[in-house]
Amino acid sequence: MAGPVANIHEISGSDLISALHLAQQAPAILGQQSGSGTISNSSDTADYYARLEQLMLACLRTGDDQSAHTCLNRLSLRFGPSNERIMGLRGLYEEATAKDQLALEKCLQEYDNTLSQSPVNVPILKRRAALLRSLKRPSDAISSLIQLLDAIPTDAEAWCELADLYQSQGLGSQAIFSLEEALLIAPNSWNIHSRLGELLYICASDGDASRLLGRSVQHFSRSIELCDDYLRGCYGLTLASTRMLDNDYAGVSGQLPKKTLERLKAFALLKLGEIVESRSVDDQHWASSRSELIAAKELLNRQLK
Amino acid sequence: MAIQGDEQTILRDPALFYWILFPISIVMILTGILRHYATVLMNSTPKSPSTLAESRERLALLRGVNLRNNACSVLDRESFEIRKNYMVTGFRNGSFLKDPNNRGQPPANPMTDPAGMEAMMGMLKGNMMMMIPQTLIMSWINAFFSGFVILKLPFPLTIRFKSMLQSGVMTRDLDVQWVSSLSWYFLNLMGLQSVFGFILGSDNSANQMAQQMGMANPAAMVNPLQPGQDPDKLYLNEAENLEVMEHFCILDGVEERILQNFAPAGI
Repeated sequence: MAGPVANIHEISGSDLISALHLAQQAPAILGQQSGSGTISNSSDTADYYARLEQLMLACLRTGDDQSAHTCLNRLSLRFGPSNERIMGLRGLYEEATAKDQLALEKCLQEYDNTLSQSPVNVPILKRRAALLRSLKRPSDAISSLIQLLDAIPTDAEAWCELADLYQSQGLGSQAIFSLEEALLIAPNSWNIHSRLGELLYICASDGDASRLLGRSVQHFSRSIELCDDYLRGCYGLTLASTRMLDNDYAGVSGQLPKKTLERLKAFALLKLGEIVESRSVDDQHWASSRSELIAAKELLNRQLK
Repeated sequence: MAIQGDEQTILRDPALFYWILFPISIVMILTGILRHYATVLMNSTPKSPSTLAESRERLALLRGVNLRNNACSVLDRESFEIRKNYMVTGFRNGSFLKDPNNRGQPPANPMTDPAGMEAMMGMLKGNMMMMIPQTLIMSWINAFFSGFVILKLPFPLTIRFKSMLQSGVMTRDLDVQWVSSLSWYFLNLMGLQSVFGFILGSDNSANQMAQQMGMANPAAMVNPLQPGQDPDKLYLNEAENLEVMEHFCILDGVEERILQNFAPAGI
């Protein structure tokens, strides 16, 4: 039983395949404890409960509501139902198992009730914003996130979510601002750097295009500097530098000279080729990011023609 | 005077070892463990802010610090200036304060402020946890074992160590290698940290659960404001720090840098 448990750490949150694998092991992991009846002392560690939480999320995503409920019960047995994080998880469970719109509205009502009692319940505040978003009320979600961030401006997760919401509403510069705030909290996260690069690249269509594209190239470069085989960073750098070259932005007021841009593009393509090659060999391991890999291959084919 | 180089010999009853040295060590270790668990038991989690405004008051300062520390790796000049102006104006106006109307008034007396009272109680409890067992054990040793020479160190020491190793034994001529019972207590008090680390795991292992429960709530975890401190003063200080900041950006020239560092020579 040590095998599956040890592997849980490798699972990334946004990856459906590994979530499925984890959820399939749920009976085994949950069954370990039920035999002994009480939770033994050795398993009462922070690690174990973090795993349980992850397992619960994976089960919810893959439709195994029964196991998710077991996980939730164990967690609330240990930390008590009034723990803020448990309240957030319970809300998540209710949302996920809600049958119709009406049930979701009821969840929202419940969140509002909770928040009127304890206004600084961060997990519930976040759940509320997420629920508003899934209820197709993005402007309400944005205002609730702004309210949250006004009180807790040091929460990178919320800033990222806000950026995503802004972008979905077509508010590019606000989204860029939010991502910059997130980066100020976590300055070395290459994925946010590359995400900001993507945003700048998308927004670079109006008059300010050359400046935005220049910044986009900078952020992509920074993300590669921080993590030198980051596929999204290389992909973005290729796209951004190509677009700068195509539109003849090179050398315009304070921008990079043409030669450097060409070298950057060549470098990004080379790197992309290397990454694609190495990951294609080890296909199973990178199964979760297969779509990214396919996109990268496609870009390579297009560029090499 | 003791003649240098001449070995002093004192005939010690071996029972001294079983009835003094051993009990003192055991008692010290046990009180250490007891104290650890008592601290865990009485440890009160830091109070999370009860209103959004209170949370903002605490975290606005951290935001300023974050801006100061990390601006160089994220922002270009323009967006840095905008943020700097916003933060500095906010700090100066006191718009981040819990209640801006109370600005400039002397801070509430910590004795009457319930939050301050709680923090002081916490400190008091911590101090008591150290003081009481120490006093008890020291008086116990003084009452029962004072004046015993219980141990000979296997290496020579200079005369300076005499007051450290032979407290409670007023013998001028005794060689420094001999250790008295009271001194053995002090040595244990100072030197058992690694033993506790071995028995109880690393120092903060007992607090892990509390940490995990607080994890999801960043507002509760950090409180840069000590009780009784005036946030307004800290804000003005931070505004000044931000004002004098020189902007530079490590994103400038990052393209050449990665070409130089990562690209093969041919490109």
